[in-house]
Amino acid sequence: MAVINSGEIQGAIKSSPLAALTAAALALPGLVGAPAQAADDEFSVQYGHYQEEERDLFGVKSTYRPIEVDTVQGNGNIKITDRVKFLFNYTQDTWSGATPITTAPLAFRGNSTKSSTDGVSGATPIVNGELFFDSQLNPVQTDGSRTVTGGADNRLVHTLSAASPETRRQGDFKLGYEWDEAAANVGGGTSVEDDYESRFVNLGGRLDFNQKLTTLNGGLSYTASDTKARLDHDLLPYVDTGAYTDQITRTAEGGKIVQGHRKDWGAHVGLTQVLNKNALIEAGLGYTYSIGFQENPYKVVEVAFINDQIPAPDGAAYVGQVRALLEQRPNVRNQLSGNLGYKRYVEAFDAALHLNYRYFLDDWGINAHTFEADWGQPLGHGWTLTPRIRYYSQDAADFYVPYLISQQAYNSGRFDRNRLPKNFSSDHRLSGYGALSGGITLSKQFAKGVSLDLGYEYYTHQGGLKLGGGGEGDYADFDYWVVNGALRVNLEALAASSDHGSHAQHQHHHGAMAPAGVMFEHMLDKGKFMVGYRYMHSSQSGDMLHGANRVSDPAIAAGGCGSDPCYIRPNGMVMNMHMLDIMYAPTDWLNLMVMPQFMDMSMTMQRLAGAPMIDEGPGGAGAHIPHHVENGHETGGIGDMGVYALFKALDTGHHHLHMGLGLSIPFGDVDIQLRRNHKVDGGLIHYGMQIGSGTLDFKPSVTYTGNYDDWSWGAQLSGTKRLEDHGETGFRFGDIFQSTAWGGYNLTHWLSATVRGVYTVQGTVQKQFNQYIDKLGPMDYPMNYGGRFWDVGFGLNATVPGGDLAGNTLGVEWLQPVHTDYNGYQLDRDGTLSATWHYAF
Amino acid sequence: MQNRNCANSVSRPIRFMRVVPFFLLALAVTGCAEVAPWQRGTLAKPQMALDPYPLHSALRAHNYGAREAASGVSSSEGGGCGCY
Repeated sequence: MAVINSGEIQGAIKSSPLAALTAAALALPGLVGAPAQAADDEFSVQYGHYQEEERDLFGVKSTYRPIEVDTVQGNGNIKITDRVKFLFNYTQDTWSGATPITTAPLAFRGNSTKSSTDGVSGATPIVNGELFFDSQLNPVQTDGSRTVTGGADNRLVHTLSAASPETRRQGDFKLGYEWDEAAANVGGGTSVEDDYESRFVNLGGRLDFNQKLTTLNGGLSYTASDTKARLDHDLLPYVDTGAYTDQITRTAEGGKIVQGHRKDWGAHVGLTQVLNKNALIEAGLGYTYSIGFQENPYKVVEVAFINDQIPAPDGAAYVGQVRALLEQRPNVRNQLSGNLGYKRYVEAFDAALHLNYRYFLDDWGINAHTFEADWGQPLGHGWTLTPRIRYYSQDAADFYVPYLISQQAYNSGRFDRNRLPKNFSSDHRLSGYGALSGGITLSKQFAKGVSLDLGYEYYTHQGGLKLGGGGEGDYADFDYWVVNGALRVNLEALAASSDHGSHAQHQHHHGAMAPAGVMFEHMLDKGKFMVGYRYMHSSQSGDMLHGANRVSDPAIAAGGCGSDPCYIRPNGMVMNMHMLDIMYAPTDWLNLMVMPQFMDMSMTMQRLAGAPMIDEGPGGAGAHIPHHVENGHETGGIGDMGVYALFKALDTGHHHLHMGLGLSIPFGDVDIQLRRNHKVDGGLIHYGMQIGSGTLDFKPSVTYTGNYDDWSWGAQLSGTKRLEDHGETGFRFGDIFQSTAWGGYNLTHWLSATVRGVYTVQGTVQKQFNQYIDKLGPMDYPMNYGGRFWDVGFGLNATVPGGDLAGNTLGVEWLQPVHTDYNGYQLDRDGTLSATWHYAF
Repeated sequence: MQNRNCANSVSRPIRFMRVVPFFLLALAVTGCAEVAPWQRGTLAKPQMALDPYPLHSALRAHNYGAREAASGVSSSEGGGCGCY
């Protein structure tokens, strides 16, 4: 059994001075962090979930769910040669939910609860209207119309709006070269969202001297970012965009796009100094210069224009015409920061104490202090518990203002902008406040080189926590929590701990690897572990099909939505699935598997020619059509998790047969909503864009594989049977049956090619959503799901034959649709790309 | 209601300069003991790594960055908005 717990490793290190010396010498360059933080040949994946708690709206119950973010991250650090290192990183986050778009006096009633024509009541953000002031310009309470009911009321409240799910993707890399006492690296990357894109490059270096007791590091970076923020056509009448006229373009559907460009130059230097055999200190300085569009284009500032011409009601002295102006931030920002950290080994507990302080200031008037402390406590048997605490406090930016009063009439937008401040923002991130957070990380090292880290953090943002007092009022307070889990696999450590025999063994296994798109294709020998990653990308585009035949727009409009007319249809859909494959063989005849997954999907739509007219005005039944057509939809998050057991039935050397029994546990969301706009609720996004199945599913399979000489072949039957009548939102997906058969040939000792055929049948969605769905196209109806599909797959599999990465297997397969016979009306299929990486030890 | 402006912001870097001696002092007190390579076993323990959980740290930094004004300066790595 290759499992060595870290207690044994530490024991080994203690017992051998030479081993300790080697370990220390190996570890020290890693101490300095900056050029390459992860160990050599380490791969890691992480999932994180950020969940904000509800905001206080002072008696108004928001129907918006608080904001949540699902993040998945994977990275790898590969040693190309002893001196050349390559690090890549991929991050993706999907977020949705309520966020403040502005702040207003409570008396203004910005979070009005109203019923809309679709019969669904929800809070509509109100950003324009009248507000009444006393003679001292304090807002006064009213009954919601023009009757003053109380005195001055200076309470403030955020106005909340909600965002449909949106996804950001970032890929970046670093290429580094290491000398004996120095390192240099160059890196770059890009981050893409629907409305924001940035590209960046960086240079870094490290110098060790004083026998590696002192390390100096530094770096330079340049980032260029473009904003293309879409202001909805239904929001536009209520938002004054006058300050950005030359940065706005109109869209075909009557919306506006605010365009902005921004550049950031950054530099940092850091020093790490070993103080003694138990302590070290680190210090750093950073500087960033930013120029260009730094606004949040979705934040507005409420301006009460005092109009003397409008008579004030009894009990009030002035009438303010409240209008929402896009926020205005300075174009230039200089940011400086310095940090000082101290890390000490506490021998009595075998623990490490880490203290860090960071000071920040910028020329926007923000000073910030961050204090952090954590305690790394090994618990034995490979477990480590790290509690941490963090306190952060910042001053408000000079131009932060909850709302503005201007002594002039709005006059249909013909007011004097010079009488407003040059810059203003009510973004709570620029206000004065403090934040306290505490968390814990639990880490377990399973086998040498494989570890799992679980983390939790709770964070509270409060005006009252600001250092020295004077923070923002408690209306802006909020809390969030984050959970995360990370799996790290260090191949170098694994390779060092496993003998050559085991390498030969999994080369034998994977020499006859099944195509990348086939799951449960092989079993492990007793005592073996396997970690793997599967990626699947499938897309649909082109024609709409009815059954197996192309169908015209007017025919979809008339028949695609049952007895209702259809107005739109999908014209592109993409699904990405990231799956972890963790497999363990307690015996030769039984293997256990766990497969957590992360999914994201995106979809674009178009109007159907020949669709009947529908009211697309505020409150109209077709109010969402312009959004659907112009914005597309995105969803993402953690998907259903599979747990499986594989049972060996036959193994004659050339012929193998095994059975799989498994369950898919419904962790994925099935209640993802589109945001309300145009006075109409978005409702649930259609079935195919929900992340999970919503039901507990039974997933049996039977797999046969054979190999002879350079040839391999196999066949598999698999199915998905929904074990529940419906999930939490009322529906269940159709059952699935799939059969596949393949053949493979070893082109060389490390590369093989495969060809296979697949037949799949899936039933329609059963039942339907038990919550509101805004039905506008075929995808919103249960009968337009599933079908009968023939595909042909072409794949390549490779096994790394030698070196540090020996035994790693990679597979890729393209599945080309051959015949499609849909249930109902659906978008044609383009195909599916599968890619896998596996390592057994 | 306060209508603030940023006219006084030019003096901010000067305030920062007052902090610099603090860091220089901190660096100066690191007149350190000689630690021979074979005495560095403790420093090589996993819990003594400068950042034992870099992925976790990146996620936390990203969350702070989306919610706080003072973020992202020390790393100079570039990156996206993610400003939910």
